[in-house]
Amino acid sequence: MEALLKVSGLNKTFGKKKVLHGVDFTVASGRVVGLVGPNGAGKSTIMKAILGLIPTDGGQIQIADQAVSITKHQALRQVGALIEYPGIYPFLTGRQHLELFAAKKQRQQHVDAIVQALGMAGYINKPAKSYSLGMKQKLGIAQALVDRPQLVILDEPMNGLDPQAVKDLRDIIRAQAKAGTSFLISSHILSELEKVADDVLILNHGHIIQQSTMQDLAEAGGTIYELQTVNDRDALAALQAAHVPVNLVDRKLQITQTDRTTLNAALIALVHAGIAVQDVTKAQHDLEQSFLDLVEQEVH
Amino acid sequence: MGTLIKQELFKLTHKKGTWLAVLFMVVVQIGFAVLSWRYPKFFGTSMFVMNNYIGGALVDFIMIASAASMIAMEFQYGTIKQLLYRKYYRSQVFVSKLLVLLLQMIGLQVVASAMTGILTFIIKPKFDWTQVVDHMPIWRDYLLTTGGSLLVMLMLLSLVILMATWFKTNAAAIACGFIGYFVTAVAAQIIIMFVQRWHWLKWNPFTMLLTGNQIADPKTYHALTLLDTPVMIACTLGYTALFTLIAYLSFRRRAV
Repeated sequence: MEALLKVSGLNKTFGKKKVLHGVDFTVASGRVVGLVGPNGAGKSTIMKAILGLIPTDGGQIQIADQAVSITKHQALRQVGALIEYPGIYPFLTGRQHLELFAAKKQRQQHVDAIVQALGMAGYINKPAKSYSLGMKQKLGIAQALVDRPQLVILDEPMNGLDPQAVKDLRDIIRAQAKAGTSFLISSHILSELEKVADDVLILNHGHIIQQSTMQDLAEAGGTIYELQTVNDRDALAALQAAHVPVNLVDRKLQITQTDRTTLNAALIALVHAGIAVQDVTKAQHDLEQSFLDLVEQEVH
Repeated sequence: MGTLIKQELFKLTHKKGTWLAVLFMVVVQIGFAVLSWRYPKFFGTSMFVMNNYIGGALVDFIMIASAASMIAMEFQYGTIKQLLYRKYYRSQVFVSKLLVLLLQMIGLQVVASAMTGILTFIIKPKFDWTQVVDHMPIWRDYLLTTGGSLLVMLMLLSLVILMATWFKTNAAAIACGFIGYFVTAVAAQIIIMFVQRWHWLKWNPFTMLLTGNQIADPKTYHALTLLDTPVMIACTLGYTALFTLIAYLSFRRRAV
C-alpha cells in the first residue's frame, strides 16, 4: 500500500534538549496508525512538525510526495487535525465553528453529516462557550473531519468523551479509513486505541522503538489459553504427559500456544483422559502490556 | 488569502463587541450633537464637526482594542494552531488580519463621517461646509484632519499589534494598547520640546504623532516638528511599515 505520509530522519531540539532522534515512519493510505508513548516522549512534537507548526532540525516530512515544513504548507490542504486541545471562539456557536473552517464546496452537506455522525445536533447551534469538555472535544474532532481530508491527525481525541461518543468516534474513523482516509492518532487510552488502529508506532525518549501492525504486536507477545476443567490437577498431569506446554497459574491451567495445533493437542489429551472441559478463554498480549514491556526493555 | 480574509471578517462580524462598539460610538455622537444643539455657545458645531462629534477619538479606541485582541485572542482561545496548520503561511494569516483591521477602520470612519454629516444636517441644516476658516473651506479641513488622523492611527495600530504579539490574553493586550496610547501622547508632547534643542530628535517616531495636525495646519506645526509635511507623511508610513515588520517577525517566532 502506498505511503501517504512519510517521515524520515526527523530531529528536533528544544534549547539544549533533543526531543526527537531521527524519527522514521510511514502512514499508508486508508490505515489508522496509533502513536503511543510515555508523557514527554515527543508525540505532540511529531504531530506539530507534520503540520508545519514548528521548525525542525533535520529530516524530511512528505504528504502525498510533497514536502512539508514550517515554510512549505501546500501539502496540508488535505489534512485535518486536532492538536492537544480544541480551540474554541467563545462568541461562535458550534455550527459557526464548522462553517468557519469548512471548504465552500458542499459546506452545508459536510457540516450536517459530521454533526449527525458525532451526535452533536442537540447543541450545535448553541454558543460554544457553554459546552462541556466532552462537547468541546467533539467539536474539535468535527473541525478536523468536516472537510473529509486525506490525512487526519488526532492528538488524544478520546479525552473527555463519554463511552457513546468514543464508540461514535471509532465508527467514524473506521468508516473514513475504509473510504481511504489515513489517520495518525495518539492516545493514552490504549484499550480504545487498539480497537481502532491497524498499525502502531511506539515512541520512547524521541525514538521509534516499534512500528508494526496491531496484529503482529499482539501475536509477538504470544497467545495463552486458560482452561477450566472438572479436575484441574488430573488435567495438568494429562497435558504434561501429552507434552503440551502447560502451567498452573493462580489455580488456572494456562497453555502457551507454540503453533496452531497446540490447543487441538490439549483438547485431545483431555478427552482421552476423560476430563470434561468447562471453559476455554483465549488471552493475547494487549497493546497496553506490549507497550509496557517495550518501554521496560528500553529502561534496562 | 481570500478565504483567510473571509474567515477574519466572519469572526469580527460574529463578535457582539464589534456591533456594540459601533452602537456606542453612534450614541455618543448623537449625545454630543444634542449638546451642540442645546448649548451652541459652549459646543460650537464647527469644532464638533472636525472631531466627528467625538467619534474620531472613539474610532481610535475601538481600533486599539480590536488590533490588540485580533492576535492575542487566538493564543488565549487556543485557536492559533487551527489557523496555522492549514495550507496558508503565517505571513498570509498575519496579513489577512491586518487587512481586516484596515477594513474595520475604514468602515468605522465611514460610519463616524456619515453620522457627522447627518447630525450636522439635523441640528444645523444651514451649516455651510464651504465657508472658509483659516484660509481653507471647512470640508477640505475636515478631509485633511480625518485623513491625517487615520494616518497617525495606522502607525499607532502597528505599535499596538507589535505589543499584542507578546501577550497571551486579550485583556492584557488591550490594556497595554490603551496605556501605550496615552503614554505615547504624553511622551510626544515632552519629546517635541527637546526637538527644539536637539534637532536630530525630530526623526523619532513620537514626532510623527503630529503628522495629522501638521497636515491640517502645516505652518504652525512645521515650526514644532522642523520637518516638511510630505517628509512627515513618508516617515509615518515608514514607521508603520517598520513596526508591522517587527510585529510579523515576533508573530512568526512565537511558539504554538
